[in-house]
Amino acid sequence: MHSRSSGVPRGGAMDVFALQALNAIVGNAPASAALEWALGGGTLRFQIDCVFAIGGAHARATLTGRAMPSFTTCQARAGDELTVEQLTDGRFLYIALGGGIDVPQILGSRSTYLPGHFGGYNGRMIARNDTLSLGPAPISQPSEGFTCSPELLPRYDSAAVRITRGPHADLFDDAAWHTLTETEFAVSTASDRTGYKLKGKAVSDAAENLPSDASCQGAIQIPGDGTPIVLMADAPTVGGYPKIAVVAEADLPILAQRSPGHTVRFQLVTIEQSQRALKRRASDLYTIGATGAASA
Amino acid sequence: MRAVPLGDSAITIVLGAERSTELLNRVHATAAALAVERLAEVQDIVPAYLGVAVFYDSLQASFSDMAAKLLAICDRRTASTADSDKIREHEIPVTYDGADLAQVSASTGLSVDEVIARHSGRLYSVDLLGFVPGFAYLSELDSALQLPRRSQPRPRVPAGSVAIAGAQTAVYPLDTPGGWHIIGRTDRVMFDPSRDPPALLSAGDMVRFVPTP
Repeated sequence: MHSRSSGVPRGGAMDVFALQALNAIVGNAPASAALEWALGGGTLRFQIDCVFAIGGAHARATLTGRAMPSFTTCQARAGDELTVEQLTDGRFLYIALGGGIDVPQILGSRSTYLPGHFGGYNGRMIARNDTLSLGPAPISQPSEGFTCSPELLPRYDSAAVRITRGPHADLFDDAAWHTLTETEFAVSTASDRTGYKLKGKAVSDAAENLPSDASCQGAIQIPGDGTPIVLMADAPTVGGYPKIAVVAEADLPILAQRSPGHTVRFQLVTIEQSQRALKRRASDLYTIGATGAASA
Repeated sequence: MRAVPLGDSAITIVLGAERSTELLNRVHATAAALAVERLAEVQDIVPAYLGVAVFYDSLQASFSDMAAKLLAICDRRTASTADSDKIREHEIPVTYDGADLAQVSASTGLSVDEVIARHSGRLYSVDLLGFVPGFAYLSELDSALQLPRRSQPRPRVPAGSVAIAGAQTAVYPLDTPGGWHIIGRTDRVMFDPSRDPPALLSAGDMVRFVPTP
């Protein structure tokens, strides 16, 4: 799409795996638009019969009084209400609806870019009384109660998050690398769709500003005070802080779902290992889709 | 010249170690050379100051295969110069009535008319895009106008604001926070998500500001 060269970040779901798995569970194409729910409580009212699935963060959710399982195909009837009381573990709950949410594609995506007020539902967060239209129902939908095998999901409870060496890895000495990979960091409250600031031992006191170069989701920046910032979905496309490492894409969902106060430990792997893990995720998503289709 | 991974889905081709106009020209020529190849696995090409980042589908190609392919293309083009006939020039009309114009005049010791004359009287090149969609860093600003950025950024700089900081100038494409000195405004749309490409300016383009009454 060549949007990064115009300064447009990748955007999209913070937990891409959950979004794609849930789309597969309702029979949607992987990139169908869904809801990313990052706050506490709320209610959706279904005005038509609809297949849907929720997952990502754990949530206390009910459909017209019945407790809702996660990563499971559910059938809503017109008039049903899905109530999310609160997120109990993790920070992003996804709701995939059969047919996908019908909003225009902008720059090749249906996601919302809030800082620029474009994309998604009128470039803004969903508000009370908004009505969402859906696309045509998928031809083949998994049967109600189809649930994704837990071993196909990312290990959201894993303390370890894999990383690869970043473009400025050589600017950091052994002590810095030891701090990065052998100590624990806590996600701070200064964490949002742009980036997650981490709290812990300072990685380096020798950090400098470099001429801006391209960034990517998951890049771990070390600013002047030495505490890492991990760039996330809406982060600017270029930046001048040194990038010591990059989170493996396969493990971004694990980090994205880590709430403030919870810890993470980085595990250095090779680019070959990291890309292999990403291929494995893609294969797992395919398996979810294929198994779901077989259950239809 | 070397290729290093930038995560699982991008490769940074490093062309030099220190900023220079010559290196930036080479960066832009390299980005153009890569774009012309239209490789199926390539999703985006992002030039910066010292090199070019290439975003690719790593399910289709591994890091080592992609790096080898990209370096081979760059090697073939090293001896070539940029295609000067492809450079786009833009004229951007500006009403010079920015909130910081008087303060820039005071800080530089130049009259307001001189500030306007020195800002509009030269051709700028687009270094790179970043910070927010459509934000193009332009250089090089007249040395008499060079000031550090504001000590306190504004929480909201209106879209279309023409601003300066350090050795660069830019037009804010969206309403965003900003720390540059605002000296004017333009009606030109710098970023339109329904356009292709959505940003008006691209790295390597040339820009001239034209005062309007």
